[in-house]
Amino acid sequence: MTWWLLTFTRGGPAAYLSHLDTARALQRTFARAGITLALSQGMRPKACLALPLPLPVGAAGCCELAVAEVAGEEPSAALGKLRAAAPPGIEPLTVEVAGERHPRPQPQWAEYTCTVLGDAGAVAAAVARFAEQSQVVFQRVSPKGERTLDLKEYVVDTSVQAVAGGAQLRFTIRHRASGAARPQEYVDLIAEWAGIEPVMRALTRVRVAWKQLPRATAERAEGVISCDTSEEGDDR
Amino acid sequence: MLSYPDVYEIGISNPALQILYTHLNDETAAAAERAYCPWPDMAELMRAAEVPLWSLESMAPVRGCDLWGFTLPHELAFTNVLEMLDLAGVPLHAAERGEGQPIVLGGGPSVANPWPLAAFFDAFFAGEVEDHLDALVAALGAPSRAERLIALAGIPGMWLPAASAGPAERQIFMGFSGRRPPTRPVVPVLEAVHDRAVVEVMRGCTAGCRFCQAGMWYRPVRERPLELVVAAADDLLRETGCDEVSLLSLSTCDYTAVQEALTRIRGLRPGVRVSLPSLRIDAAAGSLARFAAEQRGSLTLAPEAGTQRLRDAINKGVDEAEFEAAVRATFAGGFSGLKLYFMIGLPDETDEDVRGIAAMARTAQRVAQEAGRGRARLSISVSSHIPKPHTPYELEPFAGEQTLRRRQQLLREALPRGVRVSFHDVAASLVEASLARGGRGSDRFVEAAWRRGARFDGWSEHFDLTAWQAAAGEVGVELGRPACLPAGRPEWRDAVDARLAPAFLAEEDERSRAAELTPDCREGSCSACGVCGGDVAMEVLA
Repeated sequence: MTWWLLTFTRGGPAAYLSHLDTARALQRTFARAGITLALSQGMRPKACLALPLPLPVGAAGCCELAVAEVAGEEPSAALGKLRAAAPPGIEPLTVEVAGERHPRPQPQWAEYTCTVLGDAGAVAAAVARFAEQSQVVFQRVSPKGERTLDLKEYVVDTSVQAVAGGAQLRFTIRHRASGAARPQEYVDLIAEWAGIEPVMRALTRVRVAWKQLPRATAERAEGVISCDTSEEGDDR
Repeated sequence: MLSYPDVYEIGISNPALQILYTHLNDETAAAAERAYCPWPDMAELMRAAEVPLWSLESMAPVRGCDLWGFTLPHELAFTNVLEMLDLAGVPLHAAERGEGQPIVLGGGPSVANPWPLAAFFDAFFAGEVEDHLDALVAALGAPSRAERLIALAGIPGMWLPAASAGPAERQIFMGFSGRRPPTRPVVPVLEAVHDRAVVEVMRGCTAGCRFCQAGMWYRPVRERPLELVVAAADDLLRETGCDEVSLLSLSTCDYTAVQEALTRIRGLRPGVRVSLPSLRIDAAAGSLARFAAEQRGSLTLAPEAGTQRLRDAINKGVDEAEFEAAVRATFAGGFSGLKLYFMIGLPDETDEDVRGIAAMARTAQRVAQEAGRGRARLSISVSSHIPKPHTPYELEPFAGEQTLRRRQQLLREALPRGVRVSFHDVAASLVEASLARGGRGSDRFVEAAWRRGARFDGWSEHFDLTAWQAAAGEVGVELGRPACLPAGRPEWRDAVDARLAPAFLAEEDERSRAAELTPDCREGSCSACGVCGGDVAMEVLA
């Protein structure tokens, strides 16, 4: 058995898949490609395939990462099979051998873009206001309960650009031991300050920085997997 | 256009639509696409934005298709048909449709009584359509809508509410056994209610359960050869990427080669699971242990009634010893959970029969403890019996709201601790009972309910009794009684000839009263149901 790292894009209709549905779609892609995934032990064995950084429902991703344990297959031959077997909206990009030990890549930060509709000037002012704040306290309410977090701890490198009918936001979310902010939470805040509808369009994850990537992948990508594979990593 | 009148997650699991979709696209000149019923919040947005219902494949408006086929699974999906027609911008009433608008065709088990939907459909097809798809597609080539309807009317099994002079004869696909099942189905990328590959191993069931419409409607039994089943499972695993195969039929444990099919399909790939959707206790008991040896979890058995007398009356036949043996085999084989299906409201049912359900639960608990499975999950699902057309109980009265509620409470109090119980919603049963045997004019009842907001009636969070009560008041229906049906008159027979001899149904009802069993005709004694004859005959493996 060997562990592989698969990078892939998720977009089009597949952007609306949940995390578990995305994992299931990839698992079936492997099966249709004739590549045998290892099974976990226990009463109900599961295929050994994981997506270390879930993508929100409705978001596209051009630099997604999957970790899978497979049996007896050459990655070079596998990529073509996986591409042929993938469903619409999911496109495998690269397959690399990570070794015989389970790799556990940890996200450090992820960069997103999205478009909001409305007055671009007001959006730019809201983004500038966010940058000026030392602290932006946010109350997250979920079925698990309430949690207070400071968006400034997590959201960095914010920028805005006017586009037809609105503005394109670009921002980076840092992943810390305490967790991470959600793209929607930042956009909700900007929309509230700008006085526009908090509706994100074309939310796309464009770069992710990883630590504990296997050496080959890490050296090639300097820890950053992005839409543009020629981009260099940084240490934000 | 092919539709299932529920949300995608439910509809994509319907095997009939997968068969039709594959057959039409692969073997005829037609291009079949699909549309499902949007959830109410989506429907609201679509109406607000004036976006008509579209097909999943080409995203073209559904109203532009030549023929819109609905499979009609049960009565609580009827209002969703109206919802979809309305969302598509297709006139609700067939009489209001004209040139350029699709012909709306109904199929599936609810065509057994098409009256509650008669106003909304141009045509219904009774039975299994596989033999007639070429003719159906050819009929669509006629130059005008009126000529297309005339051509459709000439296809056996077709019933046009506005034009047919007599009932349509239910069609039986006698090529079933030799036909390869679909092996390249549409694979959903989100989790469907039945998220697995499906091989239909057998069609029809001759066990003769007297309440069971499917058991009467899909006669005779036809089994697919083992080699065809295994080859189809192999292809399905490869083409879909699924890791589970369901061997589908009305009673898969009666499939002659079930053990060998299970063994061979499990051996096709590592980790492949095989599921059997429907287990009758008598057939299941002997095979459970072996089946369970490698595949654990929970198992569902269907005793249906709580006492021997009532089980004999409904022709279920299973006795206490067989039940106990099945439960013992279940737990000895490694299953950690057991679910039992029962019905209440059966003809001639007494309170003692309902207490018998609790007694069977106690038996199951005891056997689980004896098998060292004292912590096993035991649950009981109790549905309400709805008398259905073309069954021996077709003219029996519905038990009624008060009786059902009282017996539900009786059972709750009688069940031992540690047993989980779920009941079918009595209010929904009232609507089902009114529609299942609805007569001419009962379509007004469905439309009135839909206009008051009834839709997704099979979903407890959306079922709106007040809408149905208001509709009943408007149309003059007493909820629970067959809508718009003159007493004792089986009007469904004016629309559909299920090929069942009325004398057979009446005699079965008599035998039910006497709690007399009628043997399965697989066992050699013909019950003279009237289905076989000519080219139609039972086909079972040697």
